[in-house]
Amino acid sequence: MNTKKLGAGLAAVALVAGLAACSSGGTDTPGATTGQKLTMLIGSSGDAETSAVQAAADEWAKSSGNTVEVVAASDLTQQLSQGFAGGTPPDIFYMGWDQFGTYAQNKYLDPYAKDLSNAGDFYKSLKDTFTYKDTFTCAPKDFSTLGLIINTDMWKAAGLTDADIPTDWAGLESVAKKLTTDKVAGLSFGLEYARVGVFMSQAGGSLVSADGKTVTADTPENLAGLKEVQKLHDDGVLKFPSEINSGWSGEALGKGAAAMVIEGPWIKGIKGDFPDTHYQAVELPAGPGGQATFTFTNCWGIPTGAKTSAAAVDLVKFLTSDAQQLKFADAFGVIPSTESAAKEYATKYPENASFVKSNDYAVSPVNFAGSATVITDFNAQLATLIGGNAKAILASLQTTLQAALDEANSK
Amino acid sequence: MAKGIRGGEAGRGWLFISPALVIIGLFLVLPILLAVWVSFSDWNGLGSPLSGNTSFVGTKNYEKLLVDPGLSQRDFGTSIRNNFYYVILVVPLQTALALFLAVQVNRRILKARGFFRTAFYFPSVTSSIAITGIFIFLFSASGAINALLGWLGINGPNWLADPRGIFHNFVELFGVHSAPTALAAGGPLGISWWEWLAGPSVAMCMLIVLAIFTTSGTFMLIFLAGLQSIGAEIDEAALMDGTGPFRKFFSITLPMLKPTLFTVITLGLIGTWQLFDQVYLTGGGAPGKTLLTPAYLSYETSFKGLNWGQGAAMAFLLFLLIVALTLLQRYILRDRHKGEKLDKEMQRQIALHASVTKGGTS
Amino acid sequence: MTKLRASALASYVMLVILALIYIYPFLLSLAGSFKTDADATNNPLSLLPQTWSFAAYERLFTQVPLPLWAMNSVIIAVIVTLGRVFLDSLAGYALSRLQFRGRNVIFAGLIAVMAVPNVVLLIPRFLMIKELGIYDSYAGMIIPLMVDAAGIFIMKQFFESIPVSIEEAARIDGAGIFRTFWTIVLPMARPALVTLFILSFQGSWNEFAHFIISRQSTDLNTLTTGVASLFSGQLGSGNQFPLKLAAAVLMTLPVAVLFFVFQRKIMSTTEGAEKG
Repeated sequence: MNTKKLGAGLAAVALVAGLAACSSGGTDTPGATTGQKLTMLIGSSGDAETSAVQAAADEWAKSSGNTVEVVAASDLTQQLSQGFAGGTPPDIFYMGWDQFGTYAQNKYLDPYAKDLSNAGDFYKSLKDTFTYKDTFTCAPKDFSTLGLIINTDMWKAAGLTDADIPTDWAGLESVAKKLTTDKVAGLSFGLEYARVGVFMSQAGGSLVSADGKTVTADTPENLAGLKEVQKLHDDGVLKFPSEINSGWSGEALGKGAAAMVIEGPWIKGIKGDFPDTHYQAVELPAGPGGQATFTFTNCWGIPTGAKTSAAAVDLVKFLTSDAQQLKFADAFGVIPSTESAAKEYATKYPENASFVKSNDYAVSPVNFAGSATVITDFNAQLATLIGGNAKAILASLQTTLQAALDEANSK
Repeated sequence: MAKGIRGGEAGRGWLFISPALVIIGLFLVLPILLAVWVSFSDWNGLGSPLSGNTSFVGTKNYEKLLVDPGLSQRDFGTSIRNNFYYVILVVPLQTALALFLAVQVNRRILKARGFFRTAFYFPSVTSSIAITGIFIFLFSASGAINALLGWLGINGPNWLADPRGIFHNFVELFGVHSAPTALAAGGPLGISWWEWLAGPSVAMCMLIVLAIFTTSGTFMLIFLAGLQSIGAEIDEAALMDGTGPFRKFFSITLPMLKPTLFTVITLGLIGTWQLFDQVYLTGGGAPGKTLLTPAYLSYETSFKGLNWGQGAAMAFLLFLLIVALTLLQRYILRDRHKGEKLDKEMQRQIALHASVTKGGTS
Repeated sequence: MTKLRASALASYVMLVILALIYIYPFLLSLAGSFKTDADATNNPLSLLPQTWSFAAYERLFTQVPLPLWAMNSVIIAVIVTLGRVFLDSLAGYALSRLQFRGRNVIFAGLIAVMAVPNVVLLIPRFLMIKELGIYDSYAGMIIPLMVDAAGIFIMKQFFESIPVSIEEAARIDGAGIFRTFWTIVLPMARPALVTLFILSFQGSWNEFAHFIISRQSTDLNTLTTGVASLFSGQLGSGNQFPLKLAAAVLMTLPVAVLFFVFQRKIMSTTEGAEKG
């Protein structure tokens, strides 16, 4: 009697474990493009994005006889890596530019994009971002570039006109000075590679040589870029978001703590919290090395060796078509990744035309395998930029990035 | 007859203990063995580490953390430095505060002892997530703490965004802004002596206050138990000597509390080297990596950097560090107290505390 | 005499101030959860909202899946607590009363196991849970927590303090070992069981790290992981302090209630000698 009870208890534990083991398996038919159940993991900017992606997926699912469940991740990187390590990666997912190299190197990604029928339609810079060892791996989903976002009311109040829109660093310094008051910082952006890096590029700098073998971080050009940031801050016209009590510079713009910020098209997200802030996006000013900005992009990742990959590729084709990309643009403001759709987008949304235009000369931030940890370290070191030694920061970046590059190239 | 009573005990004994053994074996012993293998392998997180794709790489992962100059070593060194300052400040302060509170609420003449005990203990029962969230609010740039400092005419820092080490800030007062040449290089684990001597960052100070705030209540209870078990003896001794309260505390109470004191310090050391939840919630090491701890770094290296071998190796190094410190403590303790009773008492307290913190992973 | 009174007064004042320091953060968060976003940022020290706003709570129950998180937390905490109380006492009983070979080895093993810090186990546990195929499921979240060595230890210590004679009488009367344990020993162990119950509930309710590594689906978020995800919000979400504080308040409530119900019990777990 007593033994039975105990035995039953043990059996229950074993049963729970067993059941769970079974349920995580699956009954997919390999290679089929119909009758599949797909899970899509996205890093959503909000409800608008989630529901638009779900609607598009449903449309494809209906016409192709599949089902798609769209899951919005709270922390995309973490959920993706746990999914892969747990043996249950999503069938299709957003793959950020910064993690792409690491994922491609570890063979997590199915290099399906080279065979896509619309592979030639994407911007070259975007295709380069998602090319690993000369193989175009996954299809760019959309892109964003950085621009100068100006609070138009403050602009007018300071007596500035369209003619004053800065085209070089001197112009930027001068308008920032005019816009700065006791309560308002003339310019604000986050103290991180993804913002500071554009100054380095504008000064003519880069991080990796054209042949992809040598790191070129510790150069006079990059130093000039960092020095410009230091100068703006020393002049009191640049404040970082944390200095004006904001989580990011868009928040600072929204609540009127900053008159200009360097952000991307996602700036429209502040509409909800700060509906009364009027702003305008223009291209970033040129530095001594010419015009430069960063382009950020995601691709549609498909896990390697998945039974659902044929269906997932079909879904990507549908999602990256010009018509569907323009629908996404309408719903949550992303810029299409194909040149033709982007041009159409620029006409339809003139307020964002500057972001599209600047993609012609934009560069992708460094993203080879293993560079992400180095960039995290660089960001940490940038925290000491103000009042610190810019040259030492670059020297340290040079060493660590070169080590990471050598390791990446050796694999 | 006796044999009748004892009959079947062996079978039942194993039966009673087997569920516990199975679970502990499956989720404690085997995982550790599996992780040992991963820490010596190049597993990249794809598929099973036991499958053919994973190969043995010797001590490479450990070398990267301990001897090969590079980012991995520097990150590990930074995390050790950060956690070291956390430990070295939290443990003495929380112990002193807990002892002080215990002595206060142990006084017979004190009215409303229950209320005070409850107030001091309550932070210990809340979840680390909730209490860290509350502290992020209190320590925000325009938060309660800075408002309080404002009353005193102090312009408070932007706590969570401030990576400056407080020792660096201090020497800055004397005009030292960058590393003196003697300290500019050369420290262990790829960190210069100047960086080792930075002290906890301003941001880390918030976590230090948080730790003292949440754990002093638990340790107060342990001290209370200690005080009560020696209560009568003290009073007698003090009466005979006619000593004052301060002398009584330092010359009589404190020496008698030594076993409890050692327990509290040991538990404090073990607990503080495991800082994880708070780091997770405050942005994974930001600002400037000054909140990075070995526990969090090992998680991040594995789960985000896909460098599982190195992450597992880091976990074992942390384990070794904690074991070494515990053994050191036990050694000191054993030297001075041989009483069987004290040993048991300490085990009981460790069990109690372990079960409190095991769940909460503080 | 006056000197004594003055010093007593001084120490009262000091204790009251200290108690305030310990309690005020909780009162502030409670107040903050009823403030508007701007009010919470601008008047961080005020215990009274300028205007009472229930927006944070409304959002928690409509836009944020807080009820789902709470349900997961309840399910997990209840099963883990019951599992621990039952399995720990079974094992503790075996270790303290039943004679069998290997008992001492097992006990020594348990003590060793207690020394393994929890955070060191994050990666190993994840690997094992994955190998067993229970990753991202209730099973993977619950089963590893269902036994804890410290709990076994507490129960063993307690059983050893109960006189053997009662059990022997029952056993002579012909009761089996399990029945003796279930109907005679366990009821006597009520104080220890209550302690274990409180510790287990509090521990599993507040557990965070294990739920980070044993699941990935948002559907399996508990209050701790869910609320943590509120803090790692995306660009443009702003501070939203009232929302976060409201979540913190709600997740603290059950433990607070448990705490106040069993207050006397908790306060005396480590001070058995007090009333002597």
